[in-house]
Amino acid sequence: MAQNDNLEKKSSISAEDLARLSKEAEEEATPSSRKIIWNEFKADKAAMTSVIIIVAFILFVVIASFFIPAHDYKEVNIMSYFNKPFTPDFWLGADSSGRSIAKLLIVGSRNSIGIAIGLTFISGAFGIAYGLISGYFGGITDMIMSRIYDFMIMLPQLMFIIVLVTIIQNYNAVTLTLILSLFQWMGTSRLIRSRSLAESRKDYVAASKTSGTGNFRIIFREIMPNISSLIIVEMTLSFAANLGVETGLSFLGFGLPNGTPSLGTLMANATDPTNITQYWWTWIFAAIEIIVLCLAVSYVGQALRRAADSSQRLGME
Amino acid sequence: MSLIEVKDLEVHYPIRSGFWNRVTDEVLAVDGISLDIEAGETYGLVGESGSGKSTTGKSIVGLEKPTKGQILYKGKDITKPRNRHELDYNQDVQMIFQDSLSSLNPRKRIEDIIAEPLRNFAHLSKDDEKLRVLQLLDIVGLDADALYKYPHQFSGGQRQRIGVARAVATNPKLIVADEPVSALDLSVQAQVLNFMKKIQRDFGVSYLFISHDLGVVRHMCDNIAIMHRGRIVEIGTRDDIYNHPMHIYTKRLLSAIPETSVEHREEAREHREAVEKEFQENQDRYYDKDGKVLPLIAVTDTHKVAMPQDEVDELQREDD
Ligand SMILES: Nc1ncnc2c1ncn2[C@@H]1O[C@H](COP(=O)(O)OP(=O)(O)O)[C@@H](O)[C@H]1O
Ligand SMILES: [Mg+2]
Repeated sequence: MAQNDNLEKKSSISAEDLARLSKEAEEEATPSSRKIIWNEFKADKAAMTSVIIIVAFILFVVIASFFIPAHDYKEVNIMSYFNKPFTPDFWLGADSSGRSIAKLLIVGSRNSIGIAIGLTFISGAFGIAYGLISGYFGGITDMIMSRIYDFMIMLPQLMFIIVLVTIIQNYNAVTLTLILSLFQWMGTSRLIRSRSLAESRKDYVAASKTSGTGNFRIIFREIMPNISSLIIVEMTLSFAANLGVETGLSFLGFGLPNGTPSLGTLMANATDPTNITQYWWTWIFAAIEIIVLCLAVSYVGQALRRAADSSQRLGME
Repeated sequence: MSLIEVKDLEVHYPIRSGFWNRVTDEVLAVDGISLDIEAGETYGLVGESGSGKSTTGKSIVGLEKPTKGQILYKGKDITKPRNRHELDYNQDVQMIFQDSLSSLNPRKRIEDIIAEPLRNFAHLSKDDEKLRVLQLLDIVGLDADALYKYPHQFSGGQRQRIGVARAVATNPKLIVADEPVSALDLSVQAQVLNFMKKIQRDFGVSYLFISHDLGVVRHMCDNIAIMHRGRIVEIGTRDDIYNHPMHIYTKRLLSAIPETSVEHREEAREHREAVEKEFQENQDRYYDKDGKVLPLIAVTDTHKVAMPQDEVDELQREDD
């Protein structure tokens, strides 16, 4: 209580005033980012539609896949061999093993999107930390870290992934995500490094240093919040790219192990010439889904980028 | 003993170029300067842009690593990070920056900005900390409702006062003020300077006051060092510098002080042009053949100037 009395004496405002002020401040907090992003999406109908499509689709796929038992997409059913689509039992037809394409598509989408999200978070977190540290410390630290980056860029990544996947006997979605992450952080780290370099020269960083704040606290608590919009944009766009990574590998036959459905394994049906023309339903829905998802995600990414870069904004304050 | 003794400080930056990015040259940002700052005084460091003032200031607060020389505080050389750490040096030596906007983290509230040094050095309870921040805001004449706002919600003068509040938060002994008012309007300048003076009276803090304008420094500083090309060209008391300037560069800076009264404006312009002409014609007598500043020579106990001895003698004879 003595504290409070003291506080009252020192300033003309009361505790209630303080409470009101902090509430007002709360409302004005991050005034910019959240409101700007919202305005940007309101002004860009395509981006807004894309967000709705993506969120609804992911929710649907995740929830629906719970109701599909594993034997539905693992067991062979000769009776429904290449069943035609748009029939009551097989809405999207069946493949050469008589499995429902609709069910494969749902479970496969969940797997592919899950891997893309995991990949984005793991490689993104590493790339962001790597770039921030490299740019902040500069000098010899930056030089060594940049050489490691150069080395990673030079590696024939696809070959390494294929070799790793072949060597590791029992891999699953999680190990595959980790392996892919090893080769996916460089783009993010490069981008973040250059911003971190510029940001570290600003006086507020110098002020934090003279205030006795430690380097890692400065990096993650002072600098990182200031490049959060860049981070959001970068993560969104790399999510679109990462959707293609697993899909592409599985298409080539080096992605998820056999029997685990994914958008890539569905697409791989298109490697058989008769499938391409005669049994088009085995692959075309996966192809359409990939195109729609990637387009939608990059629309969202572009709207976010405009929101982050004030000179390109469509939305009005 | 002085509060801070700077001895032969040098800060050289490598210039890298070419395909191999090798060090090909050096910028001599600070090229051997010495000065002593006493407790409770305001020391002026004046020179045109690029003369190495900020680099000197940053070396003193420990933001820049000197190439050579020493900075002594409590008998220890604080250019070594270990000594800075041992002394909790930044609790005692703080900085105010020129650009008030970029020196405040745009993502943080004023409360968190001012409390940052307190959290690292003072370890107060939450209530005590808030109280201390409110006191500090009060000292620089800001209302308590500033507490939860963000830097962009303030004017330049207000932001600079927030910077001052942050700098005095831990009761430092020395504050390096790097052109604290250069970015502000004239009327706002006076206001910020008055708060700084008040703080000096109340807390007994010393300032190293950096400026490119001798006019601003006049009413603040007890001792002044004039800096050019990384070196000191003239150093002395306020009286020495304003009433008995000897170096041609000091005279040029003095003539560049903006004239506020309208009647004398024309006169001032003519004077400035005359000094500028003299500077251009006589430059080679005040600098060596590489354009470097000459060694300092003592004129009186307090007054030193970087000129050849015979020129000094001649000027003194004229004075008598
Ligand atoms: N980090 C740096 N790298 C290279 N050169 C620098 C760096 N900082 C300052 N300089 C150079 O050092 C000189 C002195 O700069 P500075 O101390 O900022 O001068 P002032 O504050 O008097 O304007 C300038 O020529 C500037 O270009
Ligand atoms: Mg400067």
